[in-house]
Amino acid sequence: MNKELEHSFVEQLQKHQNIVHKVCRLYTNNADAHNDLFQEITIQLWRAYPKFRGEAKFSTWMYRVGLNTAITLYRKSKRRISTQEFDAVEFKIKAEEYDDTEEQQLKLLYQAVHQLNDIEKALVFLYLEDKDYREISATLGITEVNARVKMNRVKKKLRTILNP
Amino acid sequence: MDELELLKKDWKKDKTEYKNYSDSDIQPMLHKKSSSIVKTLFYISIAELVFWILVNVIPFFLSSGYKERMDQSYHSPIFVGLTALSIIVIFGFVYLLYKSHKAISTTDNAKKLMESILRTRKVVKYYVAFNLIMIFISIPVSLYLEFNNNNVFHDQVEAFNSKEMLILYLFTILLGGVFLLVFWLFYKLIYGILLKRLNRNYQELKKFEV
Repeated sequence: MNKELEHSFVEQLQKHQNIVHKVCRLYTNNADAHNDLFQEITIQLWRAYPKFRGEAKFSTWMYRVGLNTAITLYRKSKRRISTQEFDAVEFKIKAEEYDDTEEQQLKLLYQAVHQLNDIEKALVFLYLEDKDYREISATLGITEVNARVKMNRVKKKLRTILNP
Repeated sequence: MDELELLKKDWKKDKTEYKNYSDSDIQPMLHKKSSSIVKTLFYISIAELVFWILVNVIPFFLSSGYKERMDQSYHSPIFVGLTALSIIVIFGFVYLLYKSHKAISTTDNAKKLMESILRTRKVVKYYVAFNLIMIFISIPVSLYLEFNNNNVFHDQVEAFNSKEMLILYLFTILLGGVFLLVFWLFYKLIYGILLKRLNRNYQELKKFEV
């Protein structure tokens, strides 16, 4: 592929890299895994780039490829710490240190989100990114009504994780 | 307050707690090797194609006795028919595999992407199933050809009493069965591990269709 294409891709990815970082933040739980997934998403974005014709915004297109990589294509590397170990730690923190300060609450929220399954995380991610149900349904391939129903269940599930 | 709203507020702050990659950090990443399941699936498919071609071809080159007998077998229309079918299937498989791999696109929606990957896996599955069925058929067929062409074997089998015949039948079925079982377990293991997460996520999305 030519240098010009590579240059414009790198430039755009550099500008919007936070989107990739945010996907990695939800789907991984340590720095090594984060970097691994970032690398894989970058490869997948670059491969899909020649077909990107600017019909959608570069960032919108990134959401789709990024999430697809995290949910479907990415194979967890061996370096990654198993989720089991991570979950056990979370529960301990939750029981011992719960208090009402916002910071603490946020920490627990992020931990709770990590306990969701891959599809639920995708819903949360798109919700946090202010995507409407039309876009959520188009990204995941489910109907808008189902996206709404699923989102409500995710909220409920989060509540249950936070207040067992 | 809605839990997610609190999270969203924090999410939007856009604090950069991650490493901010520069252009020169990103550029080499483009040329690194992908470890995606599509790539692994592709390599496995190619390995399977090569494996089954070798299974059919290697004995031909290794043993001259086998070669002679094979030459003789080509007089049998059943054998020629099965060989022709195998060749057609191999070409068909390569074509379908190419087509299904081309159809995998990361810019599709998640469900469609998963379906494309699973379809590719199905192409390989049918190819493997075809080969297993061929093995299952070829064991009795080769025994039958051997019976007609090999006088020593012919006389031996002719002399069998009914009990010995039963043992021969059972042995043939058992051999075919063991082959099938070993391969089935092997494939379950390979694809089970590779596609476990994908299958789980696909089921999760599919649950909403009902």
